[in-house]
Amino acid sequence: MAARYDRAITVFSPDGHLFQVEYAQEAVKKGSTAVGIRGKDIVVLGVEKKSVAKLQEERTVRKICALDDHVCMAFAGLTADARIVINRARVECQSHRLTVEDPVTVEYITRHIATLKQRYTQSNGRRPFGISALIVGFDCDGTPRLYQTDPSGTYHAWKANAIGRSAKTVREFLEKNYTEESIATDNDAIKLAIKALLEVVQSGGKNIELAVIRRNQSLKLLESKEIETLVTEIEKEKEEEAEKKKPKKST
Amino acid sequence: MATFFGEVLSVYSRAVEEDDDDLDDENEDEQIHREIEEKREVHIAWCPEVAQSLEDSGSNKLQCSDLIIAVGTNAAGFLSAYVLNTESWDAVGHVSLWNERSRGSSRQSIALLPGEPACLFYRHRDNPAVLVCQSTCYIAEDQLFQWTEKVFGCLQKRGLSVMVLSDSPVAEYKTPDYLYGSAVPFLRSLKSSASESQALCPALEQPNILTGLPAAVLSHCQVHQIPAVLYQCYTDVISPDSITMETYKPALLCLSKLVKGQPCCPVLNPR
Repeated sequence: MAARYDRAITVFSPDGHLFQVEYAQEAVKKGSTAVGIRGKDIVVLGVEKKSVAKLQEERTVRKICALDDHVCMAFAGLTADARIVINRARVECQSHRLTVEDPVTVEYITRHIATLKQRYTQSNGRRPFGISALIVGFDCDGTPRLYQTDPSGTYHAWKANAIGRSAKTVREFLEKNYTEESIATDNDAIKLAIKALLEVVQSGGKNIELAVIRRNQSLKLLESKEIETLVTEIEKEKEEEAEKKKPKKST
Repeated sequence: MATFFGEVLSVYSRAVEEDDDDLDDENEDEQIHREIEEKREVHIAWCPEVAQSLEDSGSNKLQCSDLIIAVGTNAAGFLSAYVLNTESWDAVGHVSLWNERSRGSSRQSIALLPGEPACLFYRHRDNPAVLVCQSTCYIAEDQLFQWTEKVFGCLQKRGLSVMVLSDSPVAEYKTPDYLYGSAVPFLRSLKSSASESQALCPALEQPNILTGLPAAVLSHCQVHQIPAVLYQCYTDVISPDSITMETYKPALLCLSKLVKGQPCCPVLNPR
């Protein structure tokens, strides 16, 4: 009894599934991990970077993209699909500035991206975008924001989140470690993002790319040296913690 | 593009090429596609004796004179009730696969829970050249070719003949005449050109077509000149239904030839 419910993705299966959307979510699950953290005066995006061959030139990261001066996004999934979404979002950001004479709010551009994704789940002949995105930035009033979208076109605001291959592990780490104290300073927020990625990234700092936006400043990509320094700090802190926990052998 | 009324329309030019030098990213896309493909691979697991026979055979093929495939819960139910109901059948293998609708047990054991969608192989103890396959799990379109190649790849082509029993909703049956309620469920048959068996029911009329696993199997048999006959049962009941299962009874005529000495072969009740 195999009537086809995924040929035209506009069709629901009898048990309420949209199989094309589920296929797209599979692609996201296989993409490299990305993490987003909302701090007090900073928002941080980190992505897992594949190892670069010894003699290969270090490439600038392609997975973290500015959508406007005050908004940027990272994605997990098919890069080819991401390019389309990013281009449309960038055009919309400028179009909004010209029409309304204000920069977009993070929620607005997230909603625009989510609506675009949803449209592709309800159009004949098109397949959904195989990406989930983490969108960070500051609104005009200075509020930091972090949103996540997925192939079905839903979006939610988060304090911290992860997408991609080991998203579950990273999210569990964040649930345990994201506290008001842990993001008290900008540096703390950045370190939390690195710590979260270190949980799942092989061979440490060289496989992490990090970007930050501070209030009233534009996107800044951290250099690998800065990341290495932070990783070393983190490892030192870990050792100190471990030392403290060791039972004192005094009488 | 700004319009007269102040709205901004997005216009895309296909003349503009994105700079395509991010090979790394394309590699990742390829890797994602590859991993998804691997996940969708079809695996056949045979029991140790059969695995041993395959190794010993030299050509990695089993001797098989008759392969009976049941696709769908009613076809499978028919075989369970009328053929596999004796002790003389051994479960010898299963096909495991993953797709969005068959999240597939990664369980390696052959004994799957009753009622769970699966694809199981049984062999007759006294006549080990007779294989029965009950397929109740959904096999995605991209997996059908793999399934057929892998299953038939284990069987000797010479002397093989295939019978397929398949369920189909009567809503998919196309006919210029009105179908009276009492006519449903009913059987239609389709054969490969190599098949010389007598028709036990009318042939499937045009423009009706087969899809899914039955179509893949019959196509394979046609291409490789294996005699195959298919009985498609059109029914108005989606769930397992005894009346639908009984509709397959004419097939017993052929099956009882294979499984001589079946103590519980029911008396045929011609419709």
